[in-house]
Amino acid sequence: MNGIGPVITTSIRNNLRSRTLLIVFIGLGVMLALAVALCISLLIIAPTVEENLPDMESDLELYLGSIMYCASLFGVGICINVFAASSMTREKSRGNIESLLATPLKVKGIWLAKSLAVFLPGLVLAEVLTAIALVAINYIYFVPEIGFLINPWIAISSFVMVPLMYFCISLLTHLIGLTGSPNTANAVVQVFLPLILALMMNLGLRETLDMTSWHFTLINLGIAAVIGIVVVLLYPRLTKERIVLSCRE
Amino acid sequence: MNSAISLENVRKTLGSREVLKGISFAVERGDIFGYLGPNGAGKTTTIRVILGLLELSSGTASILGLDVSQDEARRKVGFVLEADGLYDNMTAEENLEYYFRIYKVAQPEGKIEKVLDSVGLKDRAKDKAGTYSKGMRQRLALARAMAHNPEILVLDEPTAGVDPSGQMEIRQLLLNTVHKEGETIFLSSHNLDEVQRICNRIALIDRGEIKLYGELDKLQREMSQGEVIINTAEAIAESLLAELKSLSHLGLRERKERSLIFSPQEGVEVSDIISLLAGRGVKIEGAGKREASLEEMYSAILKEVEPQ
Repeated sequence: MNGIGPVITTSIRNNLRSRTLLIVFIGLGVMLALAVALCISLLIIAPTVEENLPDMESDLELYLGSIMYCASLFGVGICINVFAASSMTREKSRGNIESLLATPLKVKGIWLAKSLAVFLPGLVLAEVLTAIALVAINYIYFVPEIGFLINPWIAISSFVMVPLMYFCISLLTHLIGLTGSPNTANAVVQVFLPLILALMMNLGLRETLDMTSWHFTLINLGIAAVIGIVVVLLYPRLTKERIVLSCRE
Repeated sequence: MNSAISLENVRKTLGSREVLKGISFAVERGDIFGYLGPNGAGKTTTIRVILGLLELSSGTASILGLDVSQDEARRKVGFVLEADGLYDNMTAEENLEYYFRIYKVAQPEGKIEKVLDSVGLKDRAKDKAGTYSKGMRQRLALARAMAHNPEILVLDEPTAGVDPSGQMEIRQLLLNTVHKEGETIFLSSHNLDEVQRICNRIALIDRGEIKLYGELDKLQREMSQGEVIINTAEAIAESLLAELKSLSHLGLRERKERSLIFSPQEGVEVSDIISLLAGRGVKIEGAGKREASLEEMYSAILKEVEPQ
């Protein structure tokens, strides 16, 4: 992976220079996370705290966890949704990718660098949004009544597993986009966020799956692993020839 | 010593189509090698093979003795591809700095200025590449290609879409590069005039096959088939023209206002024609063996293969 540092930093800088996209992705991520946090806080958390029921803590952990999980998904998900396909389409059509391939850089280094360049800003946003949700909800509702609440499994899922899933999605998207059509890659990444969000929130809030247990963390890890396996299966497609020939299609 | 670029019996099949049908040529060090051919002939595929972007179906391709698939081979090559690959939202400096870092060129700051100066873009160093004209973009792409002091430059139509003054600047830049830095240039171009002006050796590819290959001067002499051109001070009288036409061994082929072109039979020298004309009172301003223009060679070769 020698020499991919410049590709990562330059790609991040280029992605973030696209102001419209930057506004869209930060704006959407923050707005969605805020909307979910407000809804759950005002409609569920506040009444539960007021009721002061004996088994309230585990419920509150679940509600807080839902907010954190959504914040993390929106942060990293929207960033990858917005930047992955657009940067690949642009760079393939303008010959940037073909030029990089003609340098001594390895093809897998370029792939990894491009994937990281889209993933890292999303990771930062996700971690920040999740941390804000955790601290804000605690200090607004919990600390004055019952103290600081945090469930370790939801925290691991939100801070680690969601970014891990999305790192795998970024690798997959870039693999598909580089060796084929960025539009196909775009479709994959666009479908993933609503799909995973609907699935996890339904399973969690309907109590089919206990979001506060290690099962939830394991399922997230499993999803990341499945995406990882797909990446491994598609990896042999990652050749310079395939990328170059797909650039003008 | 190894050739700068060497292709031996290279075949490349894409899908069901054989794009390169066993092509072979060598580019020697210090050459400005013109690579010509119509659209779809296989020029860009050849360039991609040289840059290690496409795998060979068969044959061998090397750069300075190194297989083109080796990273070390690519380190020795600078390139300008059909799409320039510049980042529009980055300045000229940033575009160059990026490649300096990729090639791990030491002390890039001083070098960036020097390289931009060499292509006449020092004053626009802080401007974004997206604001550049086509000619300026091509010069910046050339600067990027030369950033790591490569031994070979591979250029895919570097003057395409550039205005005439921009073309002249780029040509001069290429000549300077070869003369001062001793680099080798592989130049793919549609611009026959450009190739004739700056290249010392050429190859002509058509439908995946090399149709013509060698030193340009030599090829021009060969293709002219020993034609002789005589420039006169005045227009030739009709009566004398009729007489010259009747002398079949001279082979008068073409008459222009103040010049005559002969395709003499074997054994007839230029001096024989000059003596004959001087004896008829014709004032001769110049005479010599005529060299076929690259355009004539190109048309003749492509005409030959057309019926296939």
